[in-house]
Amino acid sequence: MTRPRGDDRGQVGGIEVLPFGLLVFVVGTLLVANAWAVVDAKLAVDAAAREAARHFVEADVPDARNFADAEAAARRAGYEALAAHGREDTRSSVELTGLESPDGQAGFTRCARATFTASYDVPVLRLPWIGGFGSGLDVTSRHSELIDPYRDGVPGSAEACS
Amino acid sequence: MSAAASGRDRGSALMLMPAGLLIVLVLASIAVDMSLVHLRKRQAFDLAAAAANDAATAGVDQGELRATHAYLLDPERTRAVVGDVVAASDLAPHLVGPPVVTVSGADVRVELALEADYIFADVVPGAPDGAVVRATATARAVP
Repeated sequence: MTRPRGDDRGQVGGIEVLPFGLLVFVVGTLLVANAWAVVDAKLAVDAAAREAARHFVEADVPDARNFADAEAAARRAGYEALAAHGREDTRSSVELTGLESPDGQAGFTRCARATFTASYDVPVLRLPWIGGFGSGLDVTSRHSELIDPYRDGVPGSAEACS
Repeated sequence: MSAAASGRDRGSALMLMPAGLLIVLVLASIAVDMSLVHLRKRQAFDLAAAAANDAATAGVDQGELRATHAYLLDPERTRAVVGDVVAASDLAPHLVGPPVVTVSGADVRVELALEADYIFADVVPGAPDGAVVRATATARAVP
């Protein structure tokens, strides 16, 4: 009997490896891509929280209790920072989560600590041109800054800072 | 090359392909871990800069300023301000030690070290599970 050409040699070592290799590749790629998406989102929310806090503490506010405009402008600055990193508004949030003066009062006063928290909901799967699917990890960053005790445009005196 | 010798290599590409893909994934994981270290370094620098920036004004010695008009930082107060800024940050649990604050006249210098945990290197036996990153920032209030 002559040996047929193009026999099955090598197939045992190959055919079952194909789906296995494909599986490893797809799952591994998704894992690495998701890990990178979280790292990238963390960079974005860090920048957003920092921008919002900086914007807020440098705002001119007429009254210690009347800081709604400054807060809105700061949140807008945070969202702009997120947009600059290519993030969707619908998945993100930038909030003023703390504003406390040295005497424990909440208000825009000298030496008060303003804390902004930025969050982004990282999708489980993100495809080019199509977008993200599912609700994955919520990536959050917090940044706080003191309202400068000696600058113009802040109600109150700096005596409470000491 | 004889026909018999070439026959021994048949199907080897099917084995090499998954191995190649695995190598690509391992390299990608190393890249993600290194980017984590880079991210932590940026966070450390931002935290040090924010602490120094706040301390440069809030740490002023008010008694000296009112008495002599000299703008000098009070070392105790400056350290307290830096401590408050660091404690308020979400990076506080990752600090390797307390921040080092050096005050010189109106200048403040903040040094801190943060832990950066790897994601993928953790699964490799014997490999380090993280790195320590350091950042330094200096600030001075300018009228």
